[in-house]
Amino acid sequence: MTALDASSAPGLTQSSGIGPRRTGARRFRWNVGLLALPIGVWLVFFFIVPFVVILWYSFGDKPSLYVTHSNDTLSLGRFAEALSPVFFQTFARTLNIAASGTLICLLIGFPIAYWMAVKLSPKYQGLALGLVLVPYWTNFLVRTIGWQITLSPQSFLADVSRNLGFGTPELLYTSGAVQLGVVYNYLPLMILPLYVALERMDHRLLEASRDLGANAFEGFRRVTVPLALPGIGAGLLLVFVPLMGDYITPSVLGGAAGSMVGQMVASQFQTAQNWALGSAMAILLMLAILAVVVVFAIIFKVIGMVIDRVERVNVLDDAKGSAA
Amino acid sequence: MTSTAETEIDFKTVEHSTAPGRVTLSGVSKLYGKNYAVQSLDLDIRAGEFISLLGPSGCGKTTTLRMIGGFEYPDEGSISISDVVMQDLPPHKRPVNTVFQAYALFPHMSVAKNVAYGLGYAKVPKSEMGQRVGDALAMVRMKHLADRMPAQLSGGQQQRIALARALVNRPSVLLLDEPMSALDRKLREEMQIELKLLQQQLGTTFVFVTHDQEEAMTMSDRIAVMNGGRIEQIGSPAEVYDSPTTANVAGFIGQQNFFTGSVENTGPVGASVTVPGATLVSAKAPGQPLVKGGPATVAVRPENVTVTAGDAAGPNQISATLMSISQLGSYLQVVMLTAEGLKVMARTNRTVDMPTRIGDAVTASWSAESVTIYPTA
Repeated sequence: MTALDASSAPGLTQSSGIGPRRTGARRFRWNVGLLALPIGVWLVFFFIVPFVVILWYSFGDKPSLYVTHSNDTLSLGRFAEALSPVFFQTFARTLNIAASGTLICLLIGFPIAYWMAVKLSPKYQGLALGLVLVPYWTNFLVRTIGWQITLSPQSFLADVSRNLGFGTPELLYTSGAVQLGVVYNYLPLMILPLYVALERMDHRLLEASRDLGANAFEGFRRVTVPLALPGIGAGLLLVFVPLMGDYITPSVLGGAAGSMVGQMVASQFQTAQNWALGSAMAILLMLAILAVVVVFAIIFKVIGMVIDRVERVNVLDDAKGSAA
Repeated sequence: MTSTAETEIDFKTVEHSTAPGRVTLSGVSKLYGKNYAVQSLDLDIRAGEFISLLGPSGCGKTTTLRMIGGFEYPDEGSISISDVVMQDLPPHKRPVNTVFQAYALFPHMSVAKNVAYGLGYAKVPKSEMGQRVGDALAMVRMKHLADRMPAQLSGGQQQRIALARALVNRPSVLLLDEPMSALDRKLREEMQIELKLLQQQLGTTFVFVTHDQEEAMTMSDRIAVMNGGRIEQIGSPAEVYDSPTTANVAGFIGQQNFFTGSVENTGPVGASVTVPGATLVSAKAPGQPLVKGGPATVAVRPENVTVTAGDAAGPNQISATLMSISQLGSYLQVVMLTAEGLKVMARTNRTVDMPTRIGDAVTASWSAESVTIYPTA
């Protein structure tokens, strides 16, 4: 098997792909920039301004019983106050619920998204998407209270349990109830990005994989999962980050046993009327979430590099047998 | 890859086969709903040949290829590859590889990883993989792009990688599903020649699906012209071009002038047909038996038609008006219209006495040997 003569095949010549610069390019980019203005304004007023306000409050204090905050004297005192053993304890519990909730969402969401994107005929994909989205569009609090009713000792479930002689189950106000509630509430946020990633995948790639000798599982491992990674990453973030700050689900379903750090922040603003301490807690919570996300991003990156290294194919430039 | 030993088939499944690379389809049918995509198809592909399945879209050529590859299972009939029956085996257990229409390169893997993908499943030791991948890439002259990602490659380069990825596994049979449809014309013509040379060097059976008759003519040892889920004619490019057995095949391979009329006379090696305004004579055996007085189609290739100003010699001539004339590289394409409304197309070199003005009265003529007559169904 010898290589064909390279000079006889102009099809091989590489085009640089860089054409002459169009003169209108700069002006064109300006117009595109203008299109991003609404989202820019939105970001400034609904994210940056509130964030700066909270950051500013966190350096102040609560001067008296009837004043929520004051920035007359600036200090880091609220941060010291916020870093109490209770905060760490609650944060650890929150992290536990959020991490396991996110993982459960991934384990449930991936098969659903895969089924929707790959197995379901395109005719019914819109319907399936609707079935995922419609509950999500329902008010968050209403959905959660729905679970409160279902899990309460007066519910249909409890009736069945009593009639079967198992007694009244203790479901509500447990961390299990909170876990169930968060998985239920955040599952669509996992399914949607996974569906988008899997739907975009060219299904012929799986045929190519089988054609090259890989069985269905190998194709899933080496083609489907890597191509779904952006969707997996987006889903993990979309579920984990809001879940860490959630206080409605634990308030409605958790009682004291399932309290999460979001509830602590909310209670400082609402019950204790201590906006300075609440702001400091909020800032700490944000930093902690950021740290967790960064640590996991680094871990995934390292795993990716290791896999890449293991699977590397070195095309050696030796002369033996090669006709390059 | 200089040694011939390396091109030998080393697939476990075909270890005892007497004819590696031979593909036999017998009585193969595939139904989609109530419609036959492929109907009672018999096809014997010889080991080491370059065969094209040619036909319009929907003729069953891609379904046939997918059944050989294992992506579709036949409803009836059997398929054997290298004399091993395998119509029920999944794709990953067959000694065939495919070059897909849109290449289907794994977008998340480098060129080298794409090419190496199948080697692990063929139990190629890791130490040998780099060499095999390098050789395959050298074969398609893409070794310098081993570390690129598919998105960074042009269409032609991607096609070469797809070819290397399939051939690195040393399949008994390579299936190609319209692999050149995404390339521009010039690149396509170069790749056709290259692919043919490569196939000759490797001696691997190539099954090539295309709707482009020129592509099939350029590369194939044999062409199977398909229509409506069946093979209408199978033969060498010359056979299919010179002696098409049906009007369908005649129309699909190269250009044809078709005239419909009724059979006036019929004999063992000749026939004549009356068409509006003329009687056309053939000296060739008809594609299929003719019935005197029955409807028939007369086929004449444009390159066999001569255009002159006055009367011409020979049995077949029609007076017409010159409608258009275009210079197509080395030849002229002339379109004429008769008083009875027949359109005649000619492809000819420019002759001195040839009329060239639109509206000129001309005579189109051709020999009896260049005419084939088909009964009209």
